[in-house]
Amino acid sequence: MPDFAQLLAPVLENRRLARDTYLIRLEAPPVARAIRPGQFVMLRLPGSTDPLLGRPFALYDTVICLPSTSGRGVGGEGDTVKPPLPNGRGADIDAPGAIDIVYLVVGKLTGLLSQVQSGEKVEVWGPLGNGFPDPVGQAKHVALVAGGIGQTPFLAHIRELLGERGYGGQVARPRAKRVSLYYGVRTADLAAGVEDFRQAGAEVHLASNDGTLGFHGFVTDLFEQHEPPDHVFGCGPEPMLHALAKIAERKGIPCHLSLETPMACGVGICFSCVTPVRTADGWDYKRVCVEGPVFDAATLHWET
Amino acid sequence: MNRLVVTLGRLHLKNPILAASGTFGYAREMEGKVDFAKLGGIIPKTVTKRPRIGNPPPRTVETPSGMLNAIGLDNDGIDHFIAHHLPYLKTLPTAIVANIAGKTEDEFLEMAEQIGANAPLPEGEGSGVRGLAGLELNLSCPNVSGGVDFATDPDVARRVVAGARRVCPLPIIAKLTPNVTNIVPIAQAAADAGADAVSLVNTFIGMAIDWKKRRPILGNVTGGLSGPAIKPLALRLVYQVARAVKIPIIGVGGISTIDDVMEFLVAGASAVQIGTANFFDPTVCGRLAEQLPQALEQLGATSVQEVVGQLK
Repeated sequence: MPDFAQLLAPVLENRRLARDTYLIRLEAPPVARAIRPGQFVMLRLPGSTDPLLGRPFALYDTVICLPSTSGRGVGGEGDTVKPPLPNGRGADIDAPGAIDIVYLVVGKLTGLLSQVQSGEKVEVWGPLGNGFPDPVGQAKHVALVAGGIGQTPFLAHIRELLGERGYGGQVARPRAKRVSLYYGVRTADLAAGVEDFRQAGAEVHLASNDGTLGFHGFVTDLFEQHEPPDHVFGCGPEPMLHALAKIAERKGIPCHLSLETPMACGVGICFSCVTPVRTADGWDYKRVCVEGPVFDAATLHWET
Repeated sequence: MNRLVVTLGRLHLKNPILAASGTFGYAREMEGKVDFAKLGGIIPKTVTKRPRIGNPPPRTVETPSGMLNAIGLDNDGIDHFIAHHLPYLKTLPTAIVANIAGKTEDEFLEMAEQIGANAPLPEGEGSGVRGLAGLELNLSCPNVSGGVDFATDPDVARRVVAGARRVCPLPIIAKLTPNVTNIVPIAQAAADAGADAVSLVNTFIGMAIDWKKRRPILGNVTGGLSGPAIKPLALRLVYQVARAVKIPIIGVGGISTIDDVMEFLVAGASAVQIGTANFFDPTVCGRLAEQLPQALEQLGATSVQEVVGQLK
C-alpha cells in the first residue's frame, strides 16, 4: 500500500449535522489523494491513552480545493481551503487536500471528537480497506441501502458511480446510469446528509423505524418494494445487512456489503475485527480491515 | 562500528527495536507503512502446528491505557507459514525471528525442527538467500484453552528450551508469562537450558465485564492485558530478572515512546519489542529506531550496550 500515510491532521471544521451526528473535515492531502469510496481511515486523539486506540471511520468524501493564491495548496492560515466544488467537474483529480468524515457519537472517542475545535489536530492514518468494487458490467441501475450511520460511505460512492468525480487518482467515469439510495434511520432527527446525497445525483428514498421520516418501517422492506437494481451495495447494522443479503439472494441481485466491525488497528496486524467468510472447505475468520470492509454478500457466512 | 548493534547470545541485531509477535502480522501488512530496514527485527505472529481458527469475536476490548485481547492464536499452521509467509519474510532487510507455540512439548520440538531448517546456510551455499535470525518460543500465550502455559513451571520451560536448542540451530528466545508468582526461577531455567535470551513479558491475564448484561465482554471471557497500562509491571519484572539471571533480556510491555525504550534498557533489557503501540501508531517502530541515537547521546553513551542495566 504505497499510498498509506499517518499524520497529525489539522481540523478545518467539525460541525453538527443531525442529532449526535457530526462532520469533521481534516486536512490530510496524502490520504485525500489516495482514498477511494468504501475505504476508511483510523482516527485517534493525539497522545491520548484513554481512549488509547484509533477508531475506523468511512470516507464521507474528499474535498477538492481550489488552487490557493499563496501556491501552498491546502492549509496554512485556515482560509486557503475553499468549499468543495459543487460537482468537481473540470477540477484536477489530484487536488483533494482534505477529507470529510461523518460520525455518530456512540462512545468515549466519538464523544471527545465531537468537542474538537477547528485548528486542533487529530491523528489519522489511511487509506485502509478494499473499497467498493465496480458494479457488474452494464449496470444501469445501482441501489445503495444504508441503515443507522451506514449512509456515510455512500456520498463519495454515488459521485464515483455517476462519474461526477474520480478518486484515488482515477479519472472520473460513469459506472452506472442511475443510483438509488435507500436510507433508514430509527427516527427523523438522526438523518444526516440527505441533501448531500440528492445533490450528488442519487434518487433518495427514506425510511424510519418510528414513521417520523419517509417510509414507516425497515429500509430493507422499502428497498424490496422497488424495482430490483442491477447491483446493490449495503452498509449498516448486521441484522439489516443480513436481511438485505437474503433479499438480494432471493432476487438474484449482485450484492456487496460494507461491514461495521469494531477494530483495534485497522491495518491487519491485530486480528480483532474478524468475520466468518466461506472457504472451499467450510468457513474461516477473515479480517474485515484488510480483506474488507466490503464483501460479496454471497461469501459471508452468517452465524445463525 | 555501529553503536546501535546489540548482541543477545548468538543473535545479532542492528539495533534493539523489534516488532513484537502478534502485533505486526506477518510483516506484509506493514509494507509501505514501516521501513523494515530501520528495524532491529520483526517477530511475526505465532504459528502453531495445526491451523487454528481462533476465538470468536469480540476478540479485543479497550481498557484505560490498554487493551485486552483474546485472539486465540488464529493462524493457518506452520506448513502454511513456511510455504506462504517465510519466503516473503526472508526477503526483508531486517532480522526475522519466527515465533511458535506448541500444545505439547513434542509439538514445540517438531516445529522448532521445521523452523530450524530455515537457518542461514553456510557462506557460499545460500546464493544470497537470507535465513531466519532466530526462534522465539511462545511459552506464554494465555488464550489457548486446553493448552498448557509452559512458562509457569521451571521444569517444563527448561525441557522445552533444551529440546528446541537440540533440534534447531537458530538462536532461541523464550517468551515468558508474567502470570506467575515468581518469574525469576523460570527465567533461570530458560537460561540454564541454553536460551540465548528471554522476552519479558507476555500479556497479563485480565477481564472486562458488561455489568448491565452481566456478561464478560470478550468471547473468550478472559484476555491478555497489554499497552501503556502494563509498562510499570513489565519494567519491574525486567529489572528483577536482570538482577538475578545472567541472560540477555528483551523487554516488552507497553512500550510506545523513546522514553519507554530507554527505561527498559536502563532497567536491564538489551533490546525491546514494540507491541500494542503498533496498533494505535502504525509507524512507531521505525520512528523509535530513528530517535534512539539521540536518546543515547543524552546519557553520553556511545553504544546501546553501555546503558543496559545501568540503573543507579
